[in-house]
Amino acid sequence: MANDIILKISGLHAGIEGKEILRGIDLEIRKGEIHAFMGPNGAGKSTLSSVLAGKPQYTVTSGSIEYMGRDLLAMSPEERSVAGIFMSFQYPVEIPGVTITNFMKSAVNAHRRAKGQEELKAGDFLKLMKEKMAFVQMKSEFSKREVNVGFSGGEKKRNEIFQMAMLDPVLSILDETDSGLDVDALRIVANGVNALHTPEKASIIITHYQRLLEYIVPDIVHVLKEGRIVKTGGRELVNLIEENGYDGL
Amino acid sequence: MTDFRIYFAGRDDIPGEFTLGRDEKLDLLLVALPGVSCSIALHITLEGEGAEVNLGGIYLCPGNERLDISVTMEHKVGGCISSQDFKGIVGGTAQVGFYGRIVVAHDAQKTEAYQADHNILLTDTAKVTTRPQLEIYADDVKCSHGATVGKLDEDAQFYMRSRGIPEAEARFLQMVSFLAPVLAMVPDETRRAELSEQLETAVRSVL
Repeated sequence: MANDIILKISGLHAGIEGKEILRGIDLEIRKGEIHAFMGPNGAGKSTLSSVLAGKPQYTVTSGSIEYMGRDLLAMSPEERSVAGIFMSFQYPVEIPGVTITNFMKSAVNAHRRAKGQEELKAGDFLKLMKEKMAFVQMKSEFSKREVNVGFSGGEKKRNEIFQMAMLDPVLSILDETDSGLDVDALRIVANGVNALHTPEKASIIITHYQRLLEYIVPDIVHVLKEGRIVKTGGRELVNLIEENGYDGL
Repeated sequence: MTDFRIYFAGRDDIPGEFTLGRDEKLDLLLVALPGVSCSIALHITLEGEGAEVNLGGIYLCPGNERLDISVTMEHKVGGCISSQDFKGIVGGTAQVGFYGRIVVAHDAQKTEAYQADHNILLTDTAKVTTRPQLEIYADDVKCSHGATVGKLDEDAQFYMRSRGIPEAEARFLQMVSFLAPVLAMVPDETRRAELSEQLETAVRSVL
């Protein structure tokens, strides 16, 4: 059914600084699906997530992306966010002087304003923060810390999933969320992602390794190589890659 | 007890000379709000051992301001500490000059002297000239200086916008965050909150 489609990418070519990285991507993501993108370094995995989130440095040279029937490429990063797209950054950015509380208050209220809702009252906001912090096992002093400043690798990624829980996206994109995580942090992150998933939502998991995919089980696996999807299959593809490597496909 | 003083450029009479004796401590904050054009010259002399001075500065020049700040930090005796932290946001066709001189006398050993002047440039037509100058005649000292003139961090902007924060709000947050470390030197919480609100209003006006 056409109205099941959350994301439709057609003939996408994109790059950065005049260098073409994605060379013709076609993809459909439906409600309830978890798609994994695997591939060697330089395959274009992070370019794909950056283009989806609307990172200004990237240029789309041809093709189209439709998100829930809307022209995604005509939307600013903040419009994409309030429309339900969330990207968990591979390298979350430090913002000295801005506390998690103030950062999230700005974000949550921007989402509410865009939906014509009133801003959250201070008490309700703190309650929501507390609930979602517990969800990724963050201690309460976390809310007073400056965004990502002095965070360990695991804390940064848990902070990403915390933000995802706060914003409750329709389409979440996890860009190499497993990199630099120990097993405990990986489990917290994966449990969070799984708990947030519903039949109405979809996820894109971008990863170099199969490790994360032991915890978050994908429905569809794509292998990206030199800017193209060279193979698409079910979850069995993950093991095949693990055994034979990307060259063995 | 550290003596704390705050001066608003264009409004307050700013003394040109400060002298610190033995173990005296002074925290000094200079603030230039939008619309203020002037020249400020400070000469701070540390002449008693154990003296300590923190000099902070915030200048917001988004229009056609002409602001010149020159500081001479003179360590006459050893064992003193001075630190300077200036933050500026400059736009429009404003022109800002920062001249920071640190002088450490011949036998002022164990001196610590630091200086930083960081600027965010909002337009290509605004101009910041920042010129640190170190004259160190002693050999056992710790001194550093750093000056930057840059734009708002694109990665931080994108990070905030990707969470739904509108571009203007993301710019606002980043500017406020840039000024925050200097603001932190105001010891009294009520006064700090007042100044913070004043600066936030001023920053909003430059967006």
